[in-house]
Amino acid sequence: MAASGQSAERGLALQVEGLRVSYGPKLAVDGVSLDINEGEIFGLLGPNGAGKTSTLSAIEGLLKPDAGSIRIGDVDARANPSAAKARMGVQLQSTSFQASLTVREIVRLYAGLYGVQITRAGIDDLLAGVHLGEEASKRFSQLSGGQQKRVSLLIATIHSPPLVLLDEPTAGLDPQARRQLWDRIERLRDLGRSILLTTHSMEEAQAVCHRVAIIDNGKLITVDTPTGLIEKHKDDPRVLKVAHGQVTLEDVFIGLTGSDLRD
Amino acid sequence: MTFAIEMSSQPSAPPVQPPTLSGILRSLLQADVTIQLRNGRALLLTFFPPLAVLYGLSAAKRSAQLGGPIVSVALALTLGIALIAILGYTASVARDRELGVLQRLRVTPAPTWTIMVSQLAVQIVSMLAMSLVVLVAAAVVENVSLDPAAYLLTLVAVIFSSAVFLGVGQALVGLIKSAETVNAVGRLSFLPLVALGLFAHSAIFGTTFETIARWSPGGAVATLLAGAMHPAAWNGDTWLAFLTSVVYAVVFAGIGIRWFQWSTR
Repeated sequence: MAASGQSAERGLALQVEGLRVSYGPKLAVDGVSLDINEGEIFGLLGPNGAGKTSTLSAIEGLLKPDAGSIRIGDVDARANPSAAKARMGVQLQSTSFQASLTVREIVRLYAGLYGVQITRAGIDDLLAGVHLGEEASKRFSQLSGGQQKRVSLLIATIHSPPLVLLDEPTAGLDPQARRQLWDRIERLRDLGRSILLTTHSMEEAQAVCHRVAIIDNGKLITVDTPTGLIEKHKDDPRVLKVAHGQVTLEDVFIGLTGSDLRD
Repeated sequence: MTFAIEMSSQPSAPPVQPPTLSGILRSLLQADVTIQLRNGRALLLTFFPPLAVLYGLSAAKRSAQLGGPIVSVALALTLGIALIAILGYTASVARDRELGVLQRLRVTPAPTWTIMVSQLAVQIVSMLAMSLVVLVAAAVVENVSLDPAAYLLTLVAVIFSSAVFLGVGQALVGLIKSAETVNAVGRLSFLPLVALGLFAHSAIFGTTFETIARWSPGGAVATLLAGAMHPAAWNGDTWLAFLTSVVYAVVFAGIGIRWFQWSTR
């Protein structure tokens, strides 16, 4: 199934076609196709091991796909990975930065890697903008989980990329930190950025995503707006079986991917 | 399948230009140098053991038994280079890999080779700094003073020798994923790879042992360094040590590059 995006006036920020990724004999991503429009927040939902992170890793250039094409804007990511990486910002699922560097030094390093000229005062302004002004001289490991995520998101967007990839950006955050991060994601959207995020949180998908795709066993099962998904699958017997009262996005998710626990 | 999505009306982000290679290398080097200077264990590993060996051999009057003052200095240099490469470099790479730092760097536009070149460059600079300190100490302790040409040749030999032990280090992090195991195996491998070389010019354990020691990685590097410090005595054995070192560097680095993984997952 291809997740199409229709936009007559806007271009595509990301276009993935027929993506296949395998680890030895195990096929992790099986022919995934998706388009993300400029200015769109696209959520990728799936149980553990469904292929979310593998899909993202292939787009990020961390994994070499067996087949398929990936275009970031007008750049072929497989043919020109450096140019593609310059056009995207990435927040990995479990990111850590150099333990011996301060937050300010980490921001300076990554600004340099993305070719962003920035002064010390400029870095401090950026950190103050995400309420980390007082933490500029601290080591990354000394920050709380929420502060680490803010540094990570700041670095992912330091070069104003047209496309931002966020792998479970709010995992492990308390409700306040989660809401703050949603606000930041929406502000990025307001600046015209396109965002592809993976999440286990149906609440998050409904709160911030324009469209949501459900992936399982490496394949996209369904794609639509959150309300569109509910509408489309509300009469599906698998969904009705797990619903308690009014059908929710979580009912659709569990109905389509099954109730079995995944590793 | 099509969907009508209401999009934000804000303008798109401006086109992004890929950064320059020099800018990428400058940023990586700046960070790696800062990390190296803040690492107290690495600094201790860099300077203390070779100086301790040099002073120890001199104080115990053992230099003659191991092949003379120049060989003692060469052994101290070999130890210093091996410690930086086999314990320092491997610990740094294995830790960064385990924490996910390498993966984070790989999603930037920085070509992957620049990430490793920066780390290796910092290690080689540490080895050169250690060598200069040891050579200065050698002039005081062992009365070994080199003319400018010998100094230069020795520093070139140090860079060359670094390829042998950085190759060993690369092989370790290539074959072993866990940072803890890399550390443990690095210490264990020190005996056959480096300590054996201490007896490369000494028959105190018999000539067979001496021959084995001489062609061990540590022995070959020590012979090469001793030859560089005393160019007039450069002979067939030194050339053989040079060739042996080339083989070690190529084999170990080849193994390390072939099996290296950027992530522990």
